[in-house]
Amino acid sequence: MEEWWYRSASGARIALRRRQHSASCRELAVRCPRLRLRSLSAATSAAWLAAYGLFVLTENSMVLSAAIIITLVGLIIYLHFVKIDQESLLVIGSLGIQVTSSYASGKESTTFIEMSQVKDVVINEAIHMQKVIYYLCILLQDPGDPQGVSEVVPLFQSSKPRLDCLIVVYKSCQEILEQRKTAPQSS
Amino acid sequence: ENSPSPLPERAIYGFALFLGSWFGFMLYLIWAYVPETWLFSLGLTYWPQKYWAVALPVYLLVAIGIGYILLFGINMMRTAPLNSTDTVTDNYAKKQQQKKFQEEAIPALTDIPISEVNRMFFLPEK
Repeated sequence: MEEWWYRSASGARIALRRRQHSASCRELAVRCPRLRLRSLSAATSAAWLAAYGLFVLTENSMVLSAAIIITLVGLIIYLHFVKIDQESLLVIGSLGIQVTSSYASGKESTTFIEMSQVKDVVINEAIHMQKVIYYLCILLQDPGDPQGVSEVVPLFQSSKPRLDCLIVVYKSCQEILEQRKTAPQSS
Repeated sequence: ENSPSPLPERAIYGFALFLGSWFGFMLYLIWAYVPETWLFSLGLTYWPQKYWAVALPVYLLVAIGIGYILLFGINMMRTAPLNSTDTVTDNYAKKQQQKKFQEEAIPALTDIPISEVNRMFFLPEK
């Protein structure tokens, strides 16, 4: 297992881990930076100070309890639905590609794409907000047209690695995808 | 047939527009500044309220300001999302025909598929 450190598109440090399970099976995982204690305390203090200011203005103590409940519920929702801890890509040569996102609360969401549907894994550039970013994506085969692309599945959406990390992932995936052409065709 | 050179007709159009815009501006100033009683005494009673002499320019300037923001927003909304095929190909590229390769001739202009571009850029070892 190898691990390298890179930077994401926004400048945060991310780690890329590569494991080779067998000649045709590889797992690549990108780990995002964890939730920092100082940003959490800063957000909580700001919210509670604002609520205390509102309490001083309105003399209504419900504002304080509402602020506490909203902060707690908001933190739980953020950890469970928004904050992604690790995104991983498992490429199995003859079977397919599995994409997993694990959230900070421990929830994992996986998507599996069968190998016959996969046309290629490429690095694409597109306009995102006010920047142009490189991102890795899986091109899905169009069943009617052998040259056509029916769908584009972007990968590593929340960690957004930069081009140097994407090239390493791209080369690893291409080594396995090339085996498809040399392997005997199965009906 | 269509040339940008000065022509007598264009000179006449330009002068007519010049006179028309000066006349319109003078009319706007008269409507905005001359008191209503003076206009009534002249018999001009059916002109719009003077409120509009201030309101219309304000509407126009606010619309221009919002237009900048709106155009920026429309542009952002129209960019293809990361998961659409518009980032990879389009109708013209799908229907293009491959021309035969000729020696000593400049190759025809075609859209190179993204898989090939990636292989060219990222696979060779430095």
